[in-house]
Amino acid sequence: MSSAPGPLILCLGNPDRGDDAAGPLVARRLGEMGVIARALDGDPLALLDSWRAGEHVVVVDAVVTGRTPGAVSVYDALRAPLAVPALRSSSHALGLAEAVALARPLGRVPGSLTLYGIEAHRFDLFTPPSKAVLRAVERVARRIHEHCAH
Amino acid sequence: MSAKTAKNSSRAVKVDYLTRVEGEGAILVKLKGEQVQEVQLQIFEPPRLFEAFLRGRHYLETPDIVARICGICPVAYQMSAVHALERILGITVDPAVRLLRRLIYCGEWIESHALHVFMLHAPDFLGYPDAIRMAADHHGLVETALRLKKIGNQLMVVLGGREIHPISVTVGGFYKVPTKAELRVLVDDLVWARDTSLAAARTVAGLEFPEFEQDYEFVSLSHPDEYPLNEGLLVSNKGLDIDVSEFGDQFAEQHVRHSNALHCRLRERGGYLVGPLARFNLNFDKLPESAQQVARECGVTPPCRNPFRGIVVRAVELVFACEEALRLIAQYEPPLSPRASAPVRAGVGHAATEAPRGTLYHRYEIDERGLILNAQIVPPTAQNQKRMEEDLWQYVPQIAGLPLEKITARCEQAVRNYDPCISCATHFVRVERT
Repeated sequence: MSSAPGPLILCLGNPDRGDDAAGPLVARRLGEMGVIARALDGDPLALLDSWRAGEHVVVVDAVVTGRTPGAVSVYDALRAPLAVPALRSSSHALGLAEAVALARPLGRVPGSLTLYGIEAHRFDLFTPPSKAVLRAVERVARRIHEHCAH
Repeated sequence: MSAKTAKNSSRAVKVDYLTRVEGEGAILVKLKGEQVQEVQLQIFEPPRLFEAFLRGRHYLETPDIVARICGICPVAYQMSAVHALERILGITVDPAVRLLRRLIYCGEWIESHALHVFMLHAPDFLGYPDAIRMAADHHGLVETALRLKKIGNQLMVVLGGREIHPISVTVGGFYKVPTKAELRVLVDDLVWARDTSLAAARTVAGLEFPEFEQDYEFVSLSHPDEYPLNEGLLVSNKGLDIDVSEFGDQFAEQHVRHSNALHCRLRERGGYLVGPLARFNLNFDKLPESAQQVARECGVTPPCRNPFRGIVVRAVELVFACEEALRLIAQYEPPLSPRASAPVRAGVGHAATEAPRGTLYHRYEIDERGLILNAQIVPPTAQNQKRMEEDLWQYVPQIAGLPLEKITARCEQAVRNYDPCISCATHFVRVERT
């Protein structure tokens, strides 16, 4: 891996809620590849404290947009506002979309913010993620690894 | 809309997706002229079946499982669970463990109340659709909220191992307890949080509150020496005074078609209110002097029957939580053993603790191997559902002359008075032993 500082990689999700584990699983897989990534199973508003203004940030999260389970969508979250329904997998009153939107008035906008959204279908407690989501985890991890290597 | 039109027309206030609350719900209010015909707080968040899920599990797994019910108040679920299970096993915890339990609860109150006062409810009073739009004009308010919330989260991390879904809480105590030094580093932030909360109470007291009072039955825990968090009798302003084990004798859960969460009611008197307003009215004299004084300055003293002033009461409880955390940290001496244990025995245990949103009741039945036979969890939002609907029945006629858009916004504000946690409330399946 290059010694140049890579992007800050934040992987959101609850490892115990079916497909919502996608983010933490990507973090684990990246760790195995030698890429530092933080798994966040907590307060989405904590994202605002996770990055510094101007920093390059990659976020991985489960999304629900109506596509096939395991489909991967890549968003430039600073160019287009994140659609809240796409992120409805969070039951938090304020989620990722709100955290990103709040960054602007608070002067905490990162330099770039790329969201890898893995299409999720099931969020049942203490169930494993679907095979489609597990395959997507591998694809996203490889893609981020390649991105960091260049 | 003219008064004449309003008298003759049928209108429906519909909030298809209630925002700035935890979970998924909606409001439907049908009006004929200015008469309310129907009110429904519709909770369509799917039931999460935790009570059924607990059945057959070993009792020691309970704190980690129930913590997953809510990302905002996991400590409340853990506390009610461990107290109920300790009642079955006859465990008395070390005084230092008791202190740490109050302390971690303070952390949860700080982060939850900060979120609600500033980010979820303040936009209603200041005329913004959400905290994001509010942040553009009230940057400092949002920064304050985020820092307060972070301080609450730090307490959770030191005591619980992480900010959400703590992992160190167990039946009998903690898997790991902090050193005095680990707690002392939190003091400066907590002093800032207390002073900021005092200022915040004065600020929110200056908001405009609708003239609306109801003859509520306020229900909360009451302890002879402390503002209630972990223990006490269950009392009300209308004569309720029971041990928590009598909960089932006095309260009944009821399924209604429009909600995935059971409505809870007092068997004799119907709807009631749990939460900050109830705690404040029933335990004002147990608040620290600073909190009592700022409440008086803010013009809220018991009995406060205006639910819209709940935002001020939450700010006063923020002061309490910070003061209490500072007091507890100053007193702390680590326990000789972080947790107590006892031989497993079959039995039934009940407990209630005060979640940020109100009283949270748990009941467990375990067998001689420690496996859970039955579990019952009654969250505060389920208890407040009926009261929320009753508020809308009474409040909407006061505002029926307004344009529909404004009525809708006011109805949402009225429901947010209760800081409903819909995710918590949807556990409607009762498990019965076969």
